[in-house]
Amino acid sequence: MKISTFLENKRSKTTKKIIGKTGVALFWVLLWGLAARWVNSPLVLPSPLKTLEGVISLAGDFEFFVSIGVTLLRVFGGVFISVALGLVLGLAGGLNKVFFETMNPFVSTIKSLPVVSVIILINLWIASGLVPLVVTFLICFPVTWTNVVQGVRATDKKLLQMAKLYNVEQTKIIRDIYVPSIKPYAVSALMNAIGLGWKVTVTAEVLANALPSIGMNLYYAKIYLETDLLFSWTLVIVICSLVIEKITLQVIGNSQKGGDQCRLS
Amino acid sequence: MSIIIKDLDKKYGQETIFEDFNLTFEKNKITGILGPSGAGKTTLLNLCSGLEQPDSGMIEGINPQAISYIFQEPRLLPWRTVRENLRFVFNEKAIKKPGSHEGDIDAMLELVGLATVGDYYPQELSGGMRQRVAIARAFLYPSELLLMDEPFSSLDCSLKNRLIEDFSKIWEQDKRTVVFVSHNEDEIRRLAHVILTFSDKPVRILQKEILK
Repeated sequence: MKISTFLENKRSKTTKKIIGKTGVALFWVLLWGLAARWVNSPLVLPSPLKTLEGVISLAGDFEFFVSIGVTLLRVFGGVFISVALGLVLGLAGGLNKVFFETMNPFVSTIKSLPVVSVIILINLWIASGLVPLVVTFLICFPVTWTNVVQGVRATDKKLLQMAKLYNVEQTKIIRDIYVPSIKPYAVSALMNAIGLGWKVTVTAEVLANALPSIGMNLYYAKIYLETDLLFSWTLVIVICSLVIEKITLQVIGNSQKGGDQCRLS
Repeated sequence: MSIIIKDLDKKYGQETIFEDFNLTFEKNKITGILGPSGAGKTTLLNLCSGLEQPDSGMIEGINPQAISYIFQEPRLLPWRTVRENLRFVFNEKAIKKPGSHEGDIDAMLELVGLATVGDYYPQELSGGMRQRVAIARAFLYPSELLLMDEPFSSLDCSLKNRLIEDFSKIWEQDKRTVVFVSHNEDEIRRLAHVILTFSDKPVRILQKEILK
């Protein structure tokens, strides 16, 4: 009886949450619609309906999916390399002071560089199509590195002391203490890198004229004054970003069993 | 071989903890150390375990590879099960046949009354059960010296009594040199063969009592 009441309460809470979120979304779409009506010029502000129509018409063209696919490859390529290297080098930086001191000026310099400067500089050296991937890596890597170094430093000293007393091998200490300790930091870095990766990749695609890409479609919509398409492409980016974020969170949630869940909750 | 501490000196800044300090821990006996808080009891355990170094003097008869330690808190890996926590202290390179220690783990879990919770995570256990895992880990590790720093202080009275009984039972089956620090005289009297009472800093032995 108690269990069924608990489940019913949980279900009703979830329904309420969904209704609430839909309500808030509808409110903003309505506000956008009213603003578009008030402006009364699709060239300045297209309506939500016009934007949606644009997405549907774009989806009828195979090029649309090619552009999304290639941009996604660039985002994930850049994010994957930055997270993988950030994990390995961050772990090394957290464990070894000399390595940290050597790497830190490089990471700090990249962090302080404006994204536009990085894009233009990289574009001087490599092919346009690869610029977004390299720039995404350069922008996302410091985020992962910093988070992982922080995670290593925040590792429970008492556990490390216990392992030292019991003469546990270094590889086992890294696998069983450091890696689980940095997991929440790495997850947060991954989420930040994905969010940041999208913005940087699309910006780099525009500035480096990378084809095919979402960024260049945005750029063409702008120069041909197709504001409705500009909005449609932006909507596509927002939807892709949200879907990827949800999928990533789901995958991370599923991969954390037992004790790990405790650490991350 | 007994553990002999000779002319030990240890200072923290201007504060002298040990000065020309001498002491012997008898082999395969439980030595209980009583004393006021902050007197240097934990410092002595840290010096014996190698976590801290003396300023001068010697500690003889300790194999640094063969020390186990039961801390005030269990210090278990929260993301590993009870069984994995016990496996953690086994040196895999030193074990010729992989998985050969599983039988020892099963026997120890049985002995500490945790046979049914081997696959549980520490956070799924009570405080007393977690401390029992720490005791099991200390005995599973092939040590000659077992150091214990107030291992029962965070537990309630009935749990403490049960754990002291469990500890005695395990020690009877697997005798080791034990140095047990506590500010609780009752705990010490129930377990120790020799009781040393420490003075405040710099440490002097006020009393040595042989019980068993």
